[in-house]
Amino acid sequence: MKTIIYTCPYVPAEWIAAHGLHAGRLLLDHAESDPALARTEGVCPFVRSFIGEVMKNKRAAGVVVTTVCDQMRRAFDILIRKCSLPAFLMNVPNTWQSFESQKLYIDELKRLSRFLTGLGGKLPSNDTLAGIMLEYDTTRASILAARDYLSAGRYAEAIASLGRDGPDKTLDYVTAVEPVIGGVRLAIIGGPLMRQDFALFDLIEQSGGRIVLDATETGERGLCAGFDRRRLHDEPLMELADAYFGSIQDASRRPNSELYKWLQRELASRQVQGIIFRRYLWCDMWHAELRRLKDFSDLPVLDIDTAGDNEMERQRTTNRIRAFMEMLQ
Amino acid sequence: MSDIPKRITLEEWGLRYEQLEKAGTCQPDYGGPLSRHIEDGDQRLLKLRYDNSAAALRLWNFLLTEEDRLHEARAAGRKIVGTMKDLGTVPVMAYCFKNIVAFYPDGAWWIPCVMELGAGLLQIADSLGIDESFCPVRAMLGAFVTGAHFPIPDMLLCSVGATCDDFSAIAQRLNGLGQPIFWWEIPHRRSPEPDEIAVNLPGGFSAPKCQVEFVKSQLERIKAALEELTGEKLDEQKLSAGIKKANLVRKYLAELRHFAFTAELCPMPALEMLIAEMLAIHFCSDQQETINVLKELLDEVTSRVFAGKGILDAGAARIFWVNPVADLQVMNLLEDCGGRICGTEYLFTHALDIIPEDIPPLEALAQMALADPMAGSSIDRADRICADIRRFGAEAVLISRIPGASHCALEGRVICEIVQEKFDIPILEIEVPPVIDSMRPSVQTRLQALVETVKARRQT
Repeated sequence: MKTIIYTCPYVPAEWIAAHGLHAGRLLLDHAESDPALARTEGVCPFVRSFIGEVMKNKRAAGVVVTTVCDQMRRAFDILIRKCSLPAFLMNVPNTWQSFESQKLYIDELKRLSRFLTGLGGKLPSNDTLAGIMLEYDTTRASILAARDYLSAGRYAEAIASLGRDGPDKTLDYVTAVEPVIGGVRLAIIGGPLMRQDFALFDLIEQSGGRIVLDATETGERGLCAGFDRRRLHDEPLMELADAYFGSIQDASRRPNSELYKWLQRELASRQVQGIIFRRYLWCDMWHAELRRLKDFSDLPVLDIDTAGDNEMERQRTTNRIRAFMEMLQ
Repeated sequence: MSDIPKRITLEEWGLRYEQLEKAGTCQPDYGGPLSRHIEDGDQRLLKLRYDNSAAALRLWNFLLTEEDRLHEARAAGRKIVGTMKDLGTVPVMAYCFKNIVAFYPDGAWWIPCVMELGAGLLQIADSLGIDESFCPVRAMLGAFVTGAHFPIPDMLLCSVGATCDDFSAIAQRLNGLGQPIFWWEIPHRRSPEPDEIAVNLPGGFSAPKCQVEFVKSQLERIKAALEELTGEKLDEQKLSAGIKKANLVRKYLAELRHFAFTAELCPMPALEMLIAEMLAIHFCSDQQETINVLKELLDEVTSRVFAGKGILDAGAARIFWVNPVADLQVMNLLEDCGGRICGTEYLFTHALDIIPEDIPPLEALAQMALADPMAGSSIDRADRICADIRRFGAEAVLISRIPGASHCALEGRVICEIVQEKFDIPILEIEVPPVIDSMRPSVQTRLQALVETVKARRQT
């Protein structure tokens, strides 16, 4: 089966899968960073790795990029000039309140469909789409239900697996036996994590903490809402669009007040005691939220910025997290 | 009185001003000696070099009195509308209302330069978590907090979507501090697909009709909001008249650019040309006076060109400049190093292109908004730069990086590559902070190297 790769949570895996293609959400690796961009100041490390990974990827049939952030939008320009992999740039509106913005998102899904059929995909019937959505929805629900039974790292891997492998293989990750308890209850908030960043979960646990809210883009915050099962059969595409565009909250939305409402609800319900704010150097969208988050929340916030992955930075991050945990314990 | 065009210092302008006064030069009510602006804290003016014409004096005075105009408008009961990021589209509509004065708070990005960091705006931005990793437009945040540089607008409009992340994030921070913002969306401009109706936009780009329709729907929202703010209805006739007036500004600017960039002897310095181009964005809070200022500047340039006079040597290296500079002094520096500007792309070419007058006016504005070079791909932008390099005969390209700007790192590379593919000309990237003093020697050396390279290539 042909694979379509992407990273943005606003790309519905179900839509790609319903076209008979495999939706492969990339979990990026610092090591894949595009060397040509390494000397260019100002490029976000995540974007650098995305470009590097796509350039090297020999298995994918196509890549979907979105306009959610400016650097990703411009990464598309690099890819279509330097890479033979067919690429699609999907407009994801920043504004979300108006009917026009919602319609634009749906129109973009239809345009994505034309791209996918051009790569050999098959335009899905409503029944096919509904079936795929049901599968994903069930798996997502299983992952969410298993949250309290999994270590934070295992939970993050389950979410990553759903994006990368699809619903079939994900359930292996969520066979848990007993609830995980203890540790200082923490949230991790920010953009997407990369593969190496998953070590943070273990580091935090070793330091006496536990991530009870993964509000990164690759974590729970990047999961769409559960589908309305009745509407799923009547108007599956509309339901899909509502669940993704209508429910995934991000720093890039204008206004992004819903992100803070979501955070307020989740931080309170999970009795979070501290926040780890993870951001990439040159990611303006998340960086600008740091001070606001500190003002918004009464909780202590630890800012962990990253310019890439190297031993010195790992050591610095380790020390900062340990100091933060000592303060909270 | 000497009528030889030349670049002079602010001190020299004192004498020149007396000469012009004695000669009976008429000045508008905001006129006066340039040196008086130093009292407002505009220290950078002491370090700039200016064109010595009466037209340039009027241009500078017009620019440096904008804050006064905004306060006068507020005192007169007119509505102040802050338009952010779209750089040129919304003001065309806003100035169709009798009771609106529109301006760009974005323009605060020059305050740290003009006041040589004396206003403390960047420190305020720092304290709000918007540090130097963001573009200098973060000064806008400080300007809103102090309220000392422009009246707080009655309404703030901000375009998002296909914009730079810096501005979008800073505007969101402002919103998070309690400032209401009317957000509107410009999607990333893309090429029409085979089954879509294509629309040719001003400036030469194209987009699918559905995107034009989408932006039109956004502009309809803005129109309704402005109508509610003022209680005045904006019909098609009024909007068409406003577009005609905006086009007059653009026609003057097109002629100015043509003469300034193609004349054998450069008739107007780069700095005055940069300011003239900026007037197209929001008319410096007075649309009619913008037309008058540009007309006088154009008359001066035309007379110089026909008299064979200029402000630089005939052999000046012909440089195409990409992106606006945060420190105005760099425009002087290029000329000091033996270069001249022959083509510009300051990120608002869509504010210079003629707006179509033969289609419904709101659709025309939607086309203009979509033609924004920031809204499309870097490849589109590079293609337009290439077309203008050819048109103006530039011998080199200078890309001025904006510190921290989300678009500069990646698009600079694309623009360089595409220009190199199409032309065998040197390209240089420099980064220009709000005050360049500490970096001046290195920037100067790089500019000199570019100019020397251009001149050496002429001999081979």
